Amino acid sequence: MNPFSSGTRLRDMIRAIRACKTAAEERAVVRKECAAIRAAISENDQDYRHRNLAKLMFIHMLGYPTHFGQMECLKLIASAGFPEKRIGYLGLMLLLDERQEVLMLVTNSLKQDLNHSNQYIVGLALCALGNICSAEMARDLAPEVERLLHGRDPNIKKKAALCSIRIIRKVPDLAENFMGPAASLLKEKHHGVLIAGVQLCTDLCKANTDALEYLRKNCTEGLVRILKDVSNSPYAPEYDIAGITDPFLHIRVLRLMRMLGQEDADSSEYMNDILAQVATKTESNKNVGNAILYECVETIMGIEATSGLRVLAINILGRFLSNRDNNIRYVALNMLMKAITVDAQAVQRHRTTILECVKDSDASIRKRALELVFLLVNDGNVKPLAKELIDYLEVSDQEFKGDLTAKICSIVEKFSQEKLWYIDQMFKVLSLAGNYVKDDVWHALIVVISNAPDLQGYSVRSLYRALQTSYEQESLVRVAVWCIGEYGEMLVNNVGVLEVEEPMTVTESDAVDAVEVALKRHSSDMTTRAMSLIALLKLSSRFTPTSERIKEIVTQHKGSVALELQQRSIEFNSIIQRHQNIKSSLVERMPVLDEAAYLGKRAGSSQPTLSAEKSSKPTTSAASLKLPNGVAKPPAAPLVDLLDLSSDDAPVLPSAPNDFLNDLLGIGLPNSSSSGAAPSTTTDLLMDLLSIGTSPAQNGPSDSNVVPSSAKAAESKPAPVTAPVMDLLDGLPSNASPPRDENLVYPTITAFESSTLKIAFSFEKQPEKPQVTLISATFTNLSSSTLTNFIFQAAVPKFVQLHLDPASSSTLPANGNGTITQSLRVTNTQHGQKPLAMRVRMAYKFNDEDKLEQGQISNFPPGL
Amino acid sequence: MWKISSSSSRSQFRIRRSPPTATWSLRCVEDIVFEKNCEQERRRKSVGRFGFYFPTMINFVLLISRQGKVRLTKWYSTYSQKERTKVIRELSGVILSRGPKLCNFVEWRGYKVVYRRYASLYFCMCIDPDDNELEILEIIHHFVEILDRYFGSVCELDLIFNFHKAYYILDEILLAGELQESSKKTVARLIAAQDSLVETAKEQASSISNIIAQATK
Repeated sequence: MNPFSSGTRLRDMIRAIRACKTAAEERAVVRKECAAIRAAISENDQDYRHRNLAKLMFIHMLGYPTHFGQMECLKLIASAGFPEKRIGYLGLMLLLDERQEVLMLVTNSLKQDLNHSNQYIVGLALCALGNICSAEMARDLAPEVERLLHGRDPNIKKKAALCSIRIIRKVPDLAENFMGPAASLLKEKHHGVLIAGVQLCTDLCKANTDALEYLRKNCTEGLVRILKDVSNSPYAPEYDIAGITDPFLHIRVLRLMRMLGQEDADSSEYMNDILAQVATKTESNKNVGNAILYECVETIMGIEATSGLRVLAINILGRFLSNRDNNIRYVALNMLMKAITVDAQAVQRHRTTILECVKDSDASIRKRALELVFLLVNDGNVKPLAKELIDYLEVSDQEFKGDLTAKICSIVEKFSQEKLWYIDQMFKVLSLAGNYVKDDVWHALIVVISNAPDLQGYSVRSLYRALQTSYEQESLVRVAVWCIGEYGEMLVNNVGVLEVEEPMTVTESDAVDAVEVALKRHSSDMTTRAMSLIALLKLSSRFTPTSERIKEIVTQHKGSVALELQQRSIEFNSIIQRHQNIKSSLVERMPVLDEAAYLGKRAGSSQPTLSAEKSSKPTTSAASLKLPNGVAKPPAAPLVDLLDLSSDDAPVLPSAPNDFLNDLLGIGLPNSSSSGAAPSTTTDLLMDLLSIGTSPAQNGPSDSNVVPSSAKAAESKPAPVTAPVMDLLDGLPSNASPPRDENLVYPTITAFESSTLKIAFSFEKQPEKPQVTLISATFTNLSSSTLTNFIFQAAVPKFVQLHLDPASSSTLPANGNGTITQSLRVTNTQHGQKPLAMRVRMAYKFNDEDKLEQGQISNFPPGL
Repeated sequence: MWKISSSSSRSQFRIRRSPPTATWSLRCVEDIVFEKNCEQERRRKSVGRFGFYFPTMINFVLLISRQGKVRLTKWYSTYSQKERTKVIRELSGVILSRGPKLCNFVEWRGYKVVYRRYASLYFCMCIDPDDNELEILEIIHHFVEILDRYFGSVCELDLIFNFHKAYYILDEILLAGELQESSKKTVARLIAAQDSLVETAKEQASSISNIIAQATK
């Protein structure tokens, strides 16, 4: 009758399932079994109920749906016998979880069983309650559990104590009721009850400050005694593990001590002695001993321990670090990370060992160690540390390079004291792992080079040298090409040679060769090629003898499939051929880029002065590459006309013909007329130079109606920056753009930022409708893979109404190479009383994996 | 403003999904999932009163065979069926592919999974990031030793055909994600006592049913 002793049927089913060769066969067997079980359920078959449930549990474990068996569990639990109840409760815990409504039906049976005279039935009920009870059940059954805590049987007591933990986790308000019983549990002798009691106390401390105070007052002494007893106890075979009596109790008592001793000098004082004893006397040649030491160290770090004790703790960690066991090293790194806030100096002593761990073959350890190294870096040790890390970069695993590169870059940027060192380190990183360097990092490098006139020659020569060996590193190629374009003559004429440099001779045609290789290499992406073309144009005026050759190279790209390249080559060709007279001024060296403004912008500060600039950053940086290609770029011919026009009829543009041209070409010089936006224009130059420019140009509208078709191009950009461009290109009077002057101005905020995604919000409000805010959200992908199926969702408090317009796209290209924009209309019905707040969620596919990110935005500018 | 953990604040939020690019007018409302995830996330990240993370509990126990077959699962935190399947799939991918000399800890979705291989079986326990990993290894070993004593040099087949017994044993060792008993002897005694209860009940039942069967003939 009982399935498990006579049990052929359950065994048979398992055998049959195991005999299946294919998944389809297995499904067929399971389907047949399920059908039989369903039939038995509908016939209300009593005899085989427990056997059926056992089968269902097995089927459930294989991953098939078994919801139809849930009621069977309840029936079994309600029956009188122990075997039925046993299997019924097991089924309940396995097939149901706390969210199912069926669970409510079991409350009554549980209540009866908790009051049962058989201790094992009470045990079953407690076990089920402890594993799956919901908040409602916790409320209903707490008195029963509390009563059981006072009982006599140790097995019931320990189960009741752990069950109370679950109840407190579900309903923290109930914690008060358990304070007294929990404290009395600590006076028990039975280890199981002690362990459960200590755990209950730990959870009570978490749930409730009163409980913490109460236990601190009443139990500290007892705890210390328990630990003393157990650590001094003679060999006890029942609890012995590798020569240590009950390590589990050790660890749990230490953990509770940490709770009680935290920020409390008196109780910490009381614990010092026993902690010192455990820390010194515990054997560390077995995992058990190390587990206790680990917990002990954590407790010493957590409480107000004496400094001698802390030194002892750090030394234990040092020993851990040099252990051959990977597990021990892992936990040591983990712990040192916490210890660094307590005693950074002591952790520094283990720097070399930690650095070795960065090179470990185990990914878990490497990751921990790298994070720790990052925390360890300071002004004093940055040079050797960076050198070590960079050396390791060369041999590290591919999948680790990304993390490592990012960390090295941020270390170098954060702690560099001299520019030469910074530039050197960055060059090394670029040539070793240029493909992993993020865009903003090498942008920053270019800004620094441009600000260091005495190092420009050195930089361009180093880059040229690095380029010869590392053409496959995209970021290196970009920086090198840019520098050769700008400082080509320093390369050839050996300007500003530093003492450390080896002399080298580079001819003009060598320099052109280098750029040409970058341009023609098929793995170069568009940005690199576009940058190469600009560099060539610049070189053509600097190296007159190579001018003819450059012209040829440029001409070859006239037929490029990429519209961007085609257009550039046609424009440049026309400059080289027809406009020799202005060429040299056209391709003058870039003015010095404003370091402070760029750094400020990178840091994402939301000062109002930068707001317009910031909102435009995603579009100007790299997306503008897309823009001319994708949307409605004026055809090349009219532009050439425009060039013609401007050079032949120079007087038409009395302001500054060169500036105008430069702006069009995107290699702009600072625009004298746009000095109003002074701090930001210069930074934009960097962006412009990477792509076709959108830098503000407020030159006369007279001739711009030559290209009326470009209006659309301008429209796809956020309003604040587009205004000047629109003026330039289609001659609309400036008030044709939205009347933004009347709008209230709010700073743009970075609403959300994670490792993959950044969201910027810019705001617009019309004075006559203060409740209504128009938010335009700009999404940028910071990761290196394209995000598809991108969906943005937002939630607002009840007093706010939200209207979402559709997004501009659902695909977000990698590395910030494009953005999605989406506008939101928010009506705050309690404007002026309550601030706006919002929760957002982004769902997308990343490397074919569904990802979900969410966050809460509470940094809205005041007054929205 | 709102309090995330209290249930009353749930109704304060209305969620809107932005329409897909193609269909402008379509707008669908979705409530539950986002809220729950937020809440879980928050609870997980909740920092102790003193700005210090406290170690807590075992979130689930998982036994996977070398082939990726599930042999035992026990969930102490709330996971829906769907999430459970996903967790198992993800974790078995990560753990089974790890080399033999590496450490026994895997960081996974903000949690840590401690695993230990015994012959063809991987015993995995998912813990909170600040729990004591070394101790969890001991708990796994404790469990295995008790299984070993009960079955008499346990093997994977024992756990397949007597999976319910493995669950009974686990229920005597862990409860609510916390350790219940540190003595192997006590666990063995408790299990034996309950088994004998089942035996007696079975004998009685079979004798009664015999009587009934004979009576109805």
